Amino acid sequence: MKLRRGALRAALALVLLPLLTPAGAVEPISLGLAIAGAAASALTGIISYPRLYCYFRECCLHRHDRRAAAALQEDLDKKLFGQHLVSKVVVKAVRGFLNNTNAKKPLALSLHGWTGTGKNFVSKIVAESIYKKGLQSKYVHQFVATLHFPHAHSINLYKDQLQSWIRGNVSICPRSLFIFDEMDKMHAGLIDSIKPFLDYYELLDGVSYRQAIFIFLSNAGAEKITEVALDFWRNGRTREDIQLTDIQNALSVSVFNNKNSGFWHSTLIDRNLIDYFIPFLPLEYKHVKMCVRVEIDSRGYTVDEDIVSRIADEMTYFPREERIYSDKGCKTVDAKLDYYYDF
Amino acid sequence: MARSVPLLWVLLPGLAALEPLSVGLAIGVASALTGYLSHPRFYCSYVECCPRAGQRLNATALKAQLDNRLFGQHLAKDVVLKAVLGFSNNPSPKKPLMLSLHGWAGTGKNFLSQILAEQVHPAGLRSKFVHLFLATLHFPHHDQVKLYKEQLQNWIRGNVSACPSSVFIFDEMDKMHPGVIDAIKPFLDYYEEVDGVSYRKAIFIFLSNAGGDLINKAAFDFWSSGKRREDIQLKDLEPLLSVGVFNNKNSGLWHSSIIDRNLIDYFVPFLPLEQRHVKMCVRAEMRARGYAVDEKIVQAVADEMTYFPKEQKIYSDKGCKTVQAKLDIHEDLVMREMKARG
Repeated sequence: MKLRRGALRAALALVLLPLLTPAGAVEPISLGLAIAGAAASALTGIISYPRLYCYFRECCLHRHDRRAAAALQEDLDKKLFGQHLVSKVVVKAVRGFLNNTNAKKPLALSLHGWTGTGKNFVSKIVAESIYKKGLQSKYVHQFVATLHFPHAHSINLYKDQLQSWIRGNVSICPRSLFIFDEMDKMHAGLIDSIKPFLDYYELLDGVSYRQAIFIFLSNAGAEKITEVALDFWRNGRTREDIQLTDIQNALSVSVFNNKNSGFWHSTLIDRNLIDYFIPFLPLEYKHVKMCVRVEIDSRGYTVDEDIVSRIADEMTYFPREERIYSDKGCKTVDAKLDYYYDF
Repeated sequence: MARSVPLLWVLLPGLAALEPLSVGLAIGVASALTGYLSHPRFYCSYVECCPRAGQRLNATALKAQLDNRLFGQHLAKDVVLKAVLGFSNNPSPKKPLMLSLHGWAGTGKNFLSQILAEQVHPAGLRSKFVHLFLATLHFPHHDQVKLYKEQLQNWIRGNVSACPSSVFIFDEMDKMHPGVIDAIKPFLDYYEEVDGVSYRKAIFIFLSNAGGDLINKAAFDFWSSGKRREDIQLKDLEPLLSVGVFNNKNSGLWHSSIIDRNLIDYFVPFLPLEQRHVKMCVRAEMRARGYAVDEKIVQAVADEMTYFPKEQKIYSDKGCKTVQAKLDIHEDLVMREMKARG
């Protein structure tokens, strides 16, 4: 094998040898001019459009991309079901923050709600609207409490590492996105370690964190939100009547005092460093059906209303008497689909 | 003119002997030397320099900055103005200036220290002579206090010897380990020189939330008895603060020898902000973003903030924080208004 490759290379060299002779005819002056011309055009190109390479490789977001907010609105309207509060607030928050060239502090969003209502989904959509590669982008960082910070006794190590990670990445790209999942399972002290980055400082050790975005996801406060939603339902008011203010203050207090919330007695709420508390309402029967339809569409099958109803009926609902809200939100819908469509 | 021509003719053969490179070099060196001798600090227009010993603070500029940007803190403005001007105008101060800023969150402590730093060093917090320390960031682990003490002492000694009028800001003093601050006590005392370095022109600012509840209580008592906010005097608050901070286990100054020896020059209290001050913050933010100030939106944002105490609802819970975020929500309204006006 190796002998054959060596022989092949030698043969290739022999064949190409005659081509070298014309080199004798190359004129030094014209060659020099050609090289100088090429260098000059390359230089002009770089000077006139320094970020040319951004077409080929991923770059940090420097100028505000108008399409980000528009894409975000569109995606949320199309793909997120049953969360009228979320789409309103998230779009305004992200758009306002990206437009603001003189932000005083990084954007900190706290997404709370029942499981399966779309918190990770929304963070994915936000990441994709800012960076094309979404969660795969090298400027988007996702931390899962149970995965990245599992042991309570190594908390000092985690604190140091987290601080270095955030500092390093924000100094490379000021417009970084950090997503912290399972906040209700995170050690209370760990969040305190990133509090300095979320505060109203201009510079910290020479690095400005004012353009970064922090998203915190948790299940804390879900019971409170469900309570509010149930109240509205029992009083005969529509889901869309629920306003942000109805939930916001109740949430803030309950999350702060809940020992299981990652925010318990944390200085984040103390100092009001969270810009927006965004509640996720539990999903109703009709929303589960919408999820099923989307899933069927994405797999390329035709939508059969009968099957959609059957799958939605199979999900479990709470509270026990009224049976309005789905226990798992839209989770396990795709698994149930496999059962009904056997291709 | 006519006479120079024959002169040139005579010198011409001699000129041929002049080497262009060496002549050029000689002229360059001569001009640089002249420039340097006539204005030794000409490079200060390009690179940041330490302010010279004789430079005084611009009193009117400082007052204007404080009046325009800091809302609702008549006490703080008063005290800081007098303290800083007095210190700056004193040709030989006996000890470094030490301010301790106390108050509720969002009342403007960091903001004030930033304004101060900008007056002393034009680059403000970005200056290499202004140093900001955060207890939770720079001194996080309580078991490493010895290391932090040593590092802090070396840092301060090194920087003050480089520039005598350095500014050191310590934030989150209530979260700092009491031992760390004891480490810098020698620098703050009435010594002429410590190991050959004079600390008398430096400025130390301590920020903390400790005593905030005491100040709020005092302000509320004033309000309840019908007196005006502007009538609150420093002497009403200072003794309260000094003891409350000294005895509060959570204050970084707890039983610290700094208060023991009365090394803090001024305790500056920050009163909690009322709704009218929050509205001023909103207006300033709108102006900074280039929008026209719309009173409806200002009122809407001010109404969204939460206030304490529960019944009377006078003082804002978060001071002026999160105003920007709330403005983003109402921005749609603003844009629509702007479009409507054309």
